Amino acid sequence: MSSSESPSRQAPTPPHGLGRLRHNIKKSLLPGDNATRIRTRRRIVAFAWRYLDMLRLCLLSAGCLWLLTLPVSQLGVDTYIDENALQPSQVNTYWNWVDVHRADRLLEDVSLLRERNLSSVERATFFATEFAKCGLPSSTQTYSIQTSHGTLNGTNAYAVFSAPRTSGTEAMIISASWKSMTGGENLRGVSIVLSLAAFLKQYSHWSKDIIFVITDNHLDGMHAWLGAYHRPSSANWDAEPLSITSGVVWTALNIDYPGHSFSHLGVFREGLNGRLPNQDLINSFRTISQQTSGVPVLLYDHYEPSEFPGREGIRSFYPSWLPNWLWERETILEYGYRAKNILRHFAYQARGRASGPHGSFHQYRIDAITLFAVPSNGPHGFYALGRAVESTLRTMSNLLERLHASFFFYIMTTPSTFLKIGSYLPSAVLVAAALMIGGLREWVKAGWVELEECQSGPGKGDAADIPSSSKKKWAPRRRDLLDVFVVMAASHLVGLTLFVIICREWLDIGLLSFIILPACWVVLMLAPWKSPSLDSSVSTAPLHTLLKAINMCLASTLISVSSVLNFSLAALLAVTLGVPLSSASPSDSLPERGIKCALYTTLAFGWLAFHGEVKQGIWDWEVLGVWFSPLVCLVYVPLVLQAGIISSLSP
Amino acid sequence: MNWAFFCSLFITALATNLSNSEQYQEELTLRPLLDGKVAAHFSFSTLLRGAVPRAPSSLGTDDTSQHYSVFPLALGQILREHAIPEFHLTINSGKWDYDRWGHPGEPGVGSGAELWAWMGDGAYASVDERWKALQNSLSGLFCASLGSMDTLHTTSPTRAFPPTGDLPRLPAPHAHSLRHATLPAERVCTENLTPFLKLLPCPARAGIAALLEPHKIFDADWHGLGVHVRWRAGAGVELTLTVQVVLDPVRISAERRRDWSLRSLFDRSIPRACSIATSSVIRVMPPSGSKVGEYALTPETWASVNAGSVLYDLTNDTPELDIAMRWPDEQRFSYSLEMSPLSDLSVRRTLKGSSQTHGELSIVIRNNQPVTFRTHYLETMPWHVELFLHTLSLSCAHSEKCDSLFTNMTYTPSRPHDRPALLQAIIELPPDETVHLSLRVRKAFLRYQEHPPDAQRGWDLPPAVFVPVDRPHRRIYTSASLVDLATPDFSMPYNVIIMSSTLIALIFGSLFNMLIRRFVVSKLDDEVPTSTE
Repeated sequence: MSSSESPSRQAPTPPHGLGRLRHNIKKSLLPGDNATRIRTRRRIVAFAWRYLDMLRLCLLSAGCLWLLTLPVSQLGVDTYIDENALQPSQVNTYWNWVDVHRADRLLEDVSLLRERNLSSVERATFFATEFAKCGLPSSTQTYSIQTSHGTLNGTNAYAVFSAPRTSGTEAMIISASWKSMTGGENLRGVSIVLSLAAFLKQYSHWSKDIIFVITDNHLDGMHAWLGAYHRPSSANWDAEPLSITSGVVWTALNIDYPGHSFSHLGVFREGLNGRLPNQDLINSFRTISQQTSGVPVLLYDHYEPSEFPGREGIRSFYPSWLPNWLWERETILEYGYRAKNILRHFAYQARGRASGPHGSFHQYRIDAITLFAVPSNGPHGFYALGRAVESTLRTMSNLLERLHASFFFYIMTTPSTFLKIGSYLPSAVLVAAALMIGGLREWVKAGWVELEECQSGPGKGDAADIPSSSKKKWAPRRRDLLDVFVVMAASHLVGLTLFVIICREWLDIGLLSFIILPACWVVLMLAPWKSPSLDSSVSTAPLHTLLKAINMCLASTLISVSSVLNFSLAALLAVTLGVPLSSASPSDSLPERGIKCALYTTLAFGWLAFHGEVKQGIWDWEVLGVWFSPLVCLVYVPLVLQAGIISSLSP
Repeated sequence: MNWAFFCSLFITALATNLSNSEQYQEELTLRPLLDGKVAAHFSFSTLLRGAVPRAPSSLGTDDTSQHYSVFPLALGQILREHAIPEFHLTINSGKWDYDRWGHPGEPGVGSGAELWAWMGDGAYASVDERWKALQNSLSGLFCASLGSMDTLHTTSPTRAFPPTGDLPRLPAPHAHSLRHATLPAERVCTENLTPFLKLLPCPARAGIAALLEPHKIFDADWHGLGVHVRWRAGAGVELTLTVQVVLDPVRISAERRRDWSLRSLFDRSIPRACSIATSSVIRVMPPSGSKVGEYALTPETWASVNAGSVLYDLTNDTPELDIAMRWPDEQRFSYSLEMSPLSDLSVRRTLKGSSQTHGELSIVIRNNQPVTFRTHYLETMPWHVELFLHTLSLSCAHSEKCDSLFTNMTYTPSRPHDRPALLQAIIELPPDETVHLSLRVRKAFLRYQEHPPDAQRGWDLPPAVFVPVDRPHRRIYTSASLVDLATPDFSMPYNVIIMSSTLIALIFGSLFNMLIRRFVVSKLDDEVPTSTE
């Protein structure tokens, strides 16, 4: 406090900094200076109060601008391997052409399975038999999941290689799903897992059991298998219990190899509900892939700008009206490349969607990634992939503890650079801070009313008085929260009803959006809750101020809490809620109210127009337990609706 | 002349001593298994004829002098020092696959180190003090970290581990008691084998001990060392040193064949017989799943054939011996796809639930026999995994409840930070039936000093043990497992210290400020008087 005193009140300042500090401290301790200090403090408060809107605007724009600067290459940090035990790419690999040949022969058999159009049970039995031929205990697991769209069935095959000389308390998983993320069959992925089973069994150096899993479909098979492995009993899942198990699983690799050969290996990392694997796993795999098998690593299937199709891909990412000279600049190109990676990451993480079957692992504290063999005409195949997988398994086998050293919160901008949590988290938190300050301001405003001097307010001259023009006086008023809570509860009820309707499919989603948008607008315009605000006296706060205060504080809390759990979701909420909630205000003119209500209604329910997205969100919720769709219906929609209600009121 | 006389006298004395008071026998059993592996069971037993374990009451006084010629002195001293009539130590690496490998020759095959001893009380030092001293002596002798078997690991499961020999009678108020502890993460390695071999009369030079070549032994899929001391009332103190190995000739061979010989398995053959041994035999069991004509066993100079198993006697002065078994018509070993379990029981124990506070212990027991089977069930749980006994439930086929199969339960609850819980019961298994046992557990929140250096690895749970009621020496161990407890992030002590210091500074600072502040009324010129600090 002492250092922030206004200079006019200060005595002649001593020349040296330290002396001045001592002088200030001494001065602040003098009893005669109390009045000055109180006055200074009040002046600061008054200043802050006067420019509060400016501060909010600054915070809001700083937060949004920060989001835009995330792809700037100066923010990125080079990746490194933190866990000393991993020692990636330090071993001789034994995977050889004999094993490639075996994988090729298996591929012929697996292709036959597809051509003969066998059922999933027959397929799984074939895989289990192939595992048993290697001398591994193997089995199959059938599962069925009840969703609102019918029953989802499938059969997984799995085998456990009990590593020689180990007690079997730890394990690692290598898996492939029958369906690739490209939509086709993951024939080569399955073949290499079968071939790896025969190959890995020949060595006694493994420190952990290796579990081979070939799951049905794309995501649900792995989800069912892991659920049966870890959960005591599955509630809405009808999954057969596993007859062969091993120890605690620490790490897992999932292989997706849809093409006939590949040029790069892409790493997919996003798990369900925005969970990420430990970064050490990704970094070790990148080191191994590049040094042991000479395959460059990509993030997803995004080519780097330095590679052949890379520039074209990034060019298509930019709008076409951008002048040529601009996007040809290296920095712009690099920005575009990183922005593309970050946006892809946001698209997965914000919606809580897994980018591959590895996504189900993370909830059981298993670090897992999917290796995607980017389809191409060459030059790599089973040989390079097998070596990379073998060496990565060796690295995983070196672990003495769970992966815990490196980062769990990061954004990869390129395969070798990433953003630390400190460099991206503030963006969402700044927006949340702006909302919180706005909300608290509304709360204070609701508690006080400015009266003319002649009227004698009940709370005269209290401590929190704010110095104002001499004519007016601030008087406290009652903040009646019951109405506000009723309105909020109603809006959340609307969200819940919407969620139930979407889940149960009582109405077609297209039809629903046609009905709900205008209906909501009409209801907002007719505004049956306006009546209490009409007879509001000066002694109670108006509904809109209180509603806005609580609405903004809630939104701020939501954003700041979710920013450490799922940053992409927090960023999405910050962008969609930040400005709209801050600018909600009642107005006198009817057309203005109409436009505002229409905007808020569209913001609240506009997403219903994306049918496929909504269906996918519901499927994710019902099958994989992704929280995104309930969150949108039960939290996001009500918050925006409340802003709409505020705008529908007259001041 | 004089010298020669004394020398011959000494040799005669030694010979009579050997033949009368100490007897050394060695045996190797080779058992080709269904999955192409070969189980080898080495057994070296020394009988101290007529010896009686030291009475605990005599512990304070000077011991009578002991003289051994074959019996290892180092071990004998430990037995006398702590008055141990019976103890068993096993250190194993690997997971014994009961389904495919059947029952082992020596039942102690649980993962890690296991030590149990029967001791009489009545000495000036309590049983627990002597138990601790025994651990320390044995860890010194075998270079193993047995000393960490503290009270956190020690139990007394008398029903599952009855004495295998006899216990000497003690004066009236005193009795024998059992101490048992397991270290599931203890590994066996060369530093254990070397002192182990030193206890043998013919270490690695002659007899079947010559086959114990560390590189091959420790490359085996499963390997374990065992030391067993017991007292048989009529006979004396018996020491049996065992080595069990499960080797995989298919993995070793480039052509993936299951043919094996002593040289291929152990990288050694037997150069000569151990002349001290009163009996030294190698028993080769017939391979399970192969008919008589399919395989050939060489050399054909075996001593006897008994129900398919072939006996080689090494006490005769045989030249170098290399036993080999071949399947001449088999190009490549193919694993049989249908394998019926070879053991009486198949047990699978898992700790389910990914939460750090609660979990569920799930045990699946299958009775592989067509008759009802009664078995002791022993579960030792460290205190940080707390069993909720009221949630214990058993279900049989078609998820039917069958809690009545679980009888005769005794339960010693754990004591936090001190003693593990011990659950013993008898389970009656219907013929060819699978029983699911489930039990909810709570995971404790540890003090930060209680975490091991590799905190993120988790905590080892000792294996559960199943002991058939009518065949108590056919114990079955489940696999050990790991439990994840809530673990602080030890990699960031710096951040944690800074964070907590800041918080404390904030709280303390504001509190201190309020406490020492003087509240005065100050008058502002332009406004009403305000009470403030």
